[in-house]
Amino acid sequence: MIDGSLLQFFTDPILRAPTIGCILMCISSGLVGVVVFLKKQSLIGEALSHATYPGVILGAMIAGVFEIDSSNDVLITIFVMLGASFTALIGLWCIHFLQHKVKVPSDSALCFVLAAFFGIGLTLASQMQFAFSSLYRQAQIYLYGQAATMIDIHIWVYSILFVCVTIVISLFYKEIRTIAFDREYARSLGINTRTVDHIIYLLIVIALVIGIRSVGVVLMSAMLIAPAVAARQYTHKLYITFILAALFGGVSGFLGNYFSISIGNALAIHFPTHHFALATGPMIVIVASILCLLSLLFAPERGLVIRYLRIAHFRYHCLQENLLKACWRFPEGKTIPFDEISKYQSLSPTYLRFVLASLAWQGWLLKEPAGYRLSPEGRAWSTRIVRLHRLWEVYLVDYLGMGVERVHRSAEEMEHIITPELERELTLLLNDPKRDPHSQPIPKEFE
Amino acid sequence: MTHLKEPRENALHIHHLTVNYDQTPVLWDIDCSIPSGNIVGIIGPNGAGKSTLIKTALGLVQPISGKTTFFGKSLEESRRRIAYVPQRESVDWDFPITVKNLVMMGRYGTLGLFRWPKQADHAAVNHYIEAMGLTPYADRQINQLSGGQQQRAFIARALVQEADIYFMDEPFAGVDMGTEKAIMDMLHHLKSHGKTVFVVHHDLNTVETSFDWILMLNLRLIACGPVVEVFNTDTLMMTYGKTYALLDDVLKISQARSQGIKNR
Repeated sequence: MIDGSLLQFFTDPILRAPTIGCILMCISSGLVGVVVFLKKQSLIGEALSHATYPGVILGAMIAGVFEIDSSNDVLITIFVMLGASFTALIGLWCIHFLQHKVKVPSDSALCFVLAAFFGIGLTLASQMQFAFSSLYRQAQIYLYGQAATMIDIHIWVYSILFVCVTIVISLFYKEIRTIAFDREYARSLGINTRTVDHIIYLLIVIALVIGIRSVGVVLMSAMLIAPAVAARQYTHKLYITFILAALFGGVSGFLGNYFSISIGNALAIHFPTHHFALATGPMIVIVASILCLLSLLFAPERGLVIRYLRIAHFRYHCLQENLLKACWRFPEGKTIPFDEISKYQSLSPTYLRFVLASLAWQGWLLKEPAGYRLSPEGRAWSTRIVRLHRLWEVYLVDYLGMGVERVHRSAEEMEHIITPELERELTLLLNDPKRDPHSQPIPKEFE
Repeated sequence: MTHLKEPRENALHIHHLTVNYDQTPVLWDIDCSIPSGNIVGIIGPNGAGKSTLIKTALGLVQPISGKTTFFGKSLEESRRRIAYVPQRESVDWDFPITVKNLVMMGRYGTLGLFRWPKQADHAAVNHYIEAMGLTPYADRQINQLSGGQQQRAFIARALVQEADIYFMDEPFAGVDMGTEKAIMDMLHHLKSHGKTVFVVHHDLNTVETSFDWILMLNLRLIACGPVVEVFNTDTLMMTYGKTYALLDDVLKISQARSQGIKNR
């Protein structure tokens, strides 16, 4: 009985082939996916994975013609893989022909090849149903994938292909990076971009051919893209992107297997009368998609959540600066009553009181019985904001030729984002002006 | 004008070059020679074929006829002596590489397949990063640089190639003053070492102070020579004037014909 311990997935004679096979396949597609993703060719994976389908059927048919027994897994696997690679390459050639010779836009060419090849595959499949019915069932596996029936021989085949993918990517790492980033520059260096392109296409086809057995032609492209997109969220270095994509792929491959068994078992215990079969392939895709989604949301630098937090923080920062600036307009050393401040602010009084209190708590303002007063530090900060505002106005009028009446609004946004370096450059460029376009004095740089 | 100095070798010779293909602007029968050791400005209105000219010289665009030679040799023989700085907007700056990685690309041509950068290559990369004032940013992702810093990184990448001829596509477009000065200084430094630099340029005000030679282009070659000799109102009128509308139309038709598109 399968008790669900993790190690068992690598030792149990029934479980180990699907688990290890899926992990190898997911790592390969994760690695190749990074290349595809960075070359902005994600749709090619989708089109080519569908283009493998007629090849799968053809391969099985040829196996049938040679009267290979449907239980001979090795030979059938090889026939199917060769067929799949063959039609995928034809699909690739068609895409190129349509794009470069017939001048069809690339998205149309991809959609056309995807639909046409898949259609041919389905037609062939319905024909085959009657001619070679036992092989037909074998071939149908490739439509949605079926990891559970994988056997040890698949591990060996996929290991070899996985090693090939890894070696080829490491050997051509420099060239792949240069071409993906800047194709024309790569050509100016004398790099043979066409050869490298062909190698990349070959990698895509290998990754697809490994993948369709467990995930199926319909879902396969997700396994190319999801790990790459997730990995890109965490790093600015290419080799780490590769390593992370491989890791995310491998984890999805394992967890897909794990969940399909453990959730299946759990459901079977709770609802003994129902029959549950959680297919491994879709489960792998679901895990990979969840990993990808979580990365898009929560990655420490590029994640959506952290970006929203940063936006909120920036807005709060602007609000603080605007309030300090409002206080700056009153004579130095004067205590400003709350009503005077709130008169020109659109905030709710409660929130305004909160922001003022926090400014006072941070030491920028001094709270007094009659209201608020700028502390020396608060005065320095607000003087700088006013200075930046007025400098920017001068820049807009003198250098960009904007009308004097329009510059105030634009400067209102910019005063919050100008860094000390930009301020220095601005001061230098404008020759340290003393008056802004509205003839208001520009405060000196605060020492 | 007498040539007191010895006549210098031609860094670039463009021989009856015609480009008329695909989406690129047309170039028609360009023929000129540029002696080495000059800073050469390439100017002309939008769509005049400035970028096309240097891309054709670099073999990135296939000409219909004509050829270019470098120091009398073909492009393939001279690859290692030529460096290219593409337009800054031509790449996706969100790509996951650091400034150091980007500059290292300049070495990939000489390294060739299956060879990894050695210590000497890393030293050269650091040297040129320093020369372009990017040392504090060497390990940053390229998206975290300002526009001017990105342009300097691109130029450092070309410098690392240690070439004899440099083609720069609008290196001064949208950069800050500091970068403009850094690039200008680098151009003079290269010139003082006998290098030849071609610069696609937009700002007519700075032509006389920046360049020794000028190549004025509007679909065909208007003028090519030392700035003091050929840069004047007449040539400017010819380059930027409207008299070429007819030529443009005719060349468009010829472009359509050569691609087998029926004319409306």
